[in-house]
Amino acid sequence: MAEDIKLMKGNEAIAHAAIRYGVDGYFGYPITPQSEILETLMAEMPWEKTGMVVLQAESEVAAINMVYGGAGSGKKVMTSSSSPGVSLKQEGISYIAGAELPCLIVNVMRGGPGLGTIQPSQADYFQTVKGGGHGDYRLITLAPSSVQEMADFVGLGFDLAFKYNNPAIILADGIIGQMMEKVVLPPFHARRTEEEIIAQCPWAVQGRKGGRKSNIITSLELDPAKMEENNIRFQAKYRKIEENEVRHEEFQCEDADYLLIAFGSSARICQKVVEIARSEGIKLGLLRPITLWPFPTKVIAAYADKVKGMLSVELNAGQMVEDVRLAVNGKVRVEHFGRLGGIVFTPDEVLDALKEKLF
Amino acid sequence: MKQEIIIAGFGGQGVLSMGKILAYSGLMEGKEVSWMPSYGPEQRGGTANVTVILSDERISSPVLNEYDIAIILNQPSMDKFESKVKPGGILIYDGYGIHTPAKRTDINIYRVDAMDAATEMKNEKAFNMLILGGLLKIAPMVQLENVMLGLKKSLPERHHHLLPMNEAAIKKGMEIIQRVDS
Repeated sequence: MAEDIKLMKGNEAIAHAAIRYGVDGYFGYPITPQSEILETLMAEMPWEKTGMVVLQAESEVAAINMVYGGAGSGKKVMTSSSSPGVSLKQEGISYIAGAELPCLIVNVMRGGPGLGTIQPSQADYFQTVKGGGHGDYRLITLAPSSVQEMADFVGLGFDLAFKYNNPAIILADGIIGQMMEKVVLPPFHARRTEEEIIAQCPWAVQGRKGGRKSNIITSLELDPAKMEENNIRFQAKYRKIEENEVRHEEFQCEDADYLLIAFGSSARICQKVVEIARSEGIKLGLLRPITLWPFPTKVIAAYADKVKGMLSVELNAGQMVEDVRLAVNGKVRVEHFGRLGGIVFTPDEVLDALKEKLF
Repeated sequence: MKQEIIIAGFGGQGVLSMGKILAYSGLMEGKEVSWMPSYGPEQRGGTANVTVILSDERISSPVLNEYDIAIILNQPSMDKFESKVKPGGILIYDGYGIHTPAKRTDINIYRVDAMDAATEMKNEKAFNMLILGGLLKIAPMVQLENVMLGLKKSLPERHHHLLPMNEAAIKKGMEIIQRVDS
């Protein structure tokens, strides 16, 4: 056994990956089922090893605004929470998107609405990919389906956020956050020096030290003509992200008569559904969007001509199914199956739903 | 080879940590492992359970329909999980607190009186290791030496002096498990 294979929870993997990636600051507030992120960071005391700041803020609202400030100075900063806490952060997220700043947000979803339950859910899909906060903005949304991906997507999220000066979010849920699996943590990167940050982020506010023009970080623009220009620039950036950054995974789709579309923990359960269905002679495949925005619209559309039906399997009342239907544009039947409020479906329930709704 | 296991009982019985030790033991043997707890308020006094999968191949779903092995440590868990053991599978229970024993005839049922043995050892904390010993006797899915390595890995260093006691409890559990004819 290689020494660097560890067994840990998804939440713990995020914390360790953040330290190793050279993150400058984490600001958060505890909430189940993601509290191990903050707990692990506190226990690891990275401020003594890498200089990374870890702070328990007075609230989720404070935490996201600390991220706004840190991001404005070009630092790699992040926050994490679970559904009700992420709702509180929406204003700050919209400001960060409007100010075109890079940062990483983690949502380990639980059942809602309201305070809801602490059990796993995927009911924040709409909130994450359709807005959440106000205004025409988008979040680069990564949906991990294993503890390994929890670790890997910290680095990927920051890379994409800095590539496009846009917030990225890891949209996980209580299953992936709480379960333990094998993980190989990413290698250590030193935090960037101030000089490296200035070179990478010429827009950052770091103190002018004489010379250059003031950098101003704001999402406010009172001249509507200029604000429209800003929005047009945002939209051009979003189209570029849609063109370049779609990620998905296919599992036995090549000869499939039917497709399951599922992300995160649901995709793990659906892998088992495919195994059981195939053993019964049903040609079933699984298509897993890894990026929920940008959504793998083209690849799903391409399957519309090849399969007899698609089932969008989600731990919610039917959210991603809307994007699947938009993708296939009526060419093939698309149904939804979900459980609500923190209840997780078993593989058998999904297979029964497939037969009932599509056969 | 794949073992899909549910361990279920009251919070405080060491259900989650027993699962963790099993998962760590699997890790030591180079197996694929997953450990999926029922988390939340039920861990204090209510029922708690954990699904552990040890496999030679990549694990798909951490959530299962049915199990190869069910380890049942209280009556509510017996009521909930007896029916979810695969035909030909194994059900292991602690006699203490079970008033309606398993009735199925298509599975292999075993009993470990771990609560009694732990009381005899004057160490309630040995309870889950006694159960683990029973499991390893019936389904030797991991070597004892790897269990000890896994235990070492999952216990904080300040508790490492308890390793010999845990090993003794595992061996005792192997001795006292008995088959129940239903």
